[in-house]
Amino acid sequence: MPALRRFLRASHAFHWLSQHRSPIAVRWNSSFSANQFAQLASRQSSKHQIYQSLSSDPYVNLSIEHFLLEHAPADSSILFLYINRPCVVIGRNQNPWLETNLRVLHNDRDVADHDSENALYVRRRSGGGAVFHDEGNLNYSVISPRTSFTRDKHAEMVVRALHRVGATNTSVNDRHDIVMSLDGASAGEQSPRPRKISGSAFKLTRHRALHHGTCLLDSPNINSLGSFLRSPAQDYIKAKGVESVRSPVANVSSVFADASVPFGIQDVIANIMGEFARLYQTSPDAVRRAQRAYVHDPELYAGDDWVVGAVGEAEGYQEPEIKKGIDELRSLEWKYTQTPQFIFSTYPVEEDPRERPALPLSLPPSTRIFLRLKHGAIIESHISISPDSSIASEQAVRAHEALKGRKLHEIQPTQWKEVLYEQLGAEEDADTIEELARFIATKLGWV
Amino acid sequence: MSPIARSLRPFASRLLAQKLPLSSVCRAAPASFPRGSVRSFSQSPLSQLKKYTESHEWIELAADGKTAKIGITEYAAKSLGDVVFVELPEVDLEVSAGEPVGAVESVKSASDVLSPVSGTVKQGNAVLDDNAKFINQSPEGDAWIAEIEVKDVAELDGLLDEASYKATIDEE
Repeated sequence: MPALRRFLRASHAFHWLSQHRSPIAVRWNSSFSANQFAQLASRQSSKHQIYQSLSSDPYVNLSIEHFLLEHAPADSSILFLYINRPCVVIGRNQNPWLETNLRVLHNDRDVADHDSENALYVRRRSGGGAVFHDEGNLNYSVISPRTSFTRDKHAEMVVRALHRVGATNTSVNDRHDIVMSLDGASAGEQSPRPRKISGSAFKLTRHRALHHGTCLLDSPNINSLGSFLRSPAQDYIKAKGVESVRSPVANVSSVFADASVPFGIQDVIANIMGEFARLYQTSPDAVRRAQRAYVHDPELYAGDDWVVGAVGEAEGYQEPEIKKGIDELRSLEWKYTQTPQFIFSTYPVEEDPRERPALPLSLPPSTRIFLRLKHGAIIESHISISPDSSIASEQAVRAHEALKGRKLHEIQPTQWKEVLYEQLGAEEDADTIEELARFIATKLGWV
Repeated sequence: MSPIARSLRPFASRLLAQKLPLSSVCRAAPASFPRGSVRSFSQSPLSQLKKYTESHEWIELAADGKTAKIGITEYAAKSLGDVVFVELPEVDLEVSAGEPVGAVESVKSASDVLSPVSGTVKQGNAVLDDNAKFINQSPEGDAWIAEIEVKDVAELDGLLDEASYKATIDEE
């Protein structure tokens, strides 16, 4: 039985290895415990790798993915599938104050927040725009040699898998996204705009290309996910960097709403693995193993030139390189101070001449708020309340003295209140200052 | 050696090797070459003051023989497509050869720009802050990404000259 022989050869090889590194328990069925993940993934002969994550932690999954990008052999092709808990993931060069509703994502300051069930805010290492993830969204990630990479290659691969499960109305559009055409329109009517079901982003290194994409299979939040991606400050912020392009979305499952056959995420996963294997000529043994590996335990299987299996949180934290990646993604520096320069202004300025909405009635109409931020820190500001221009400019100077250099994500609502009260309290009454502090904190995601 | 045995190079050593992707070329210029020897950079003809990397960066040494500008090549700019954002390095950032000295984003793709040699960043090209697209117009001219003070000019000797760089592109 050739398959078995291959397994045995693999296990023999790792037995040999075990003399050089930590002891490796080789089981008869050639499965490996998940703590050998890093080793197997970077093994020079692991040309084909297929993994499914058991973790729903976006920081863990993105860091396992990053590890694979950096450490798998340069000529390998890797498929990594994962599903995250609810979170908003923005592109590397985006602005969280502009792209997300930080008020509902504001749970990264206290240790106590770690167990919060609320949606997380995450900045990824690849480019592109902001997306929402939840348990009904499957993420696919393909890491392959850069020379043979094209931006549509793997979206097309996923479309072929979707066609196999019956979603034949899906296709790749010119933004490398997967869209679904709706045929709800009756004859003569214009057919409705296709709905986006999958968005893509890429990270390129010297020899490797990482393509990861979302795929809205059956999101329970499909009608509300826009609210996570709408900032209370969008009328006030003008940012450098990358702005998201908004698209109407839909679940793939909506195609099957009336069908008697239930729609299964695992079915889609198996088909994506199958299409990946066809694209990269992965051995049928590997695919069969991969398709069955999802069950419960983090367990890996390896053959001569392949590794497949399920990985989870433990692998992430065990491997120092992955742990480093998790810490980096979780850090407030990466999440906030990586933000490209931007301005926040309640009145039209040369760089952003848009009309602004009226200020709340609780604030005098003469109130002006302007902030310029670089690396998430205030480098220029004008905050004043007085209608008298010379008093206003004195207020602004005093406020800036107190604010310059401070990181926006660190200024808590009470600190806004303190600063503004100390600097503007001589001329303005406490209620107005409190309102001003509250307005700023609301727009910038604190309350 | 069987393919499996070859794959069994200890993990740690491979990690190390990958952290310094340019190590092989950079170390090619031994420190033992005395200054002023034939291989010394200062005596190279002008055309050799500009060098290239396999990862599509260029580096050009200024007349002072100490500072150099770094950018991405025409080929890289073309293959990346429309650049929408350039991440510039902080002043005084110390980089080793092969470490990121910036990054560009184009068509949803983030790509690191690796420093061809070790050095200290003197400035990022602020023009790109306001006009990232400039990279597509003048990648090997005024749209340089970083200016660095080169730690050891001899490191440039190990990089590709124009002809060898062109040859690597043709392979791709």
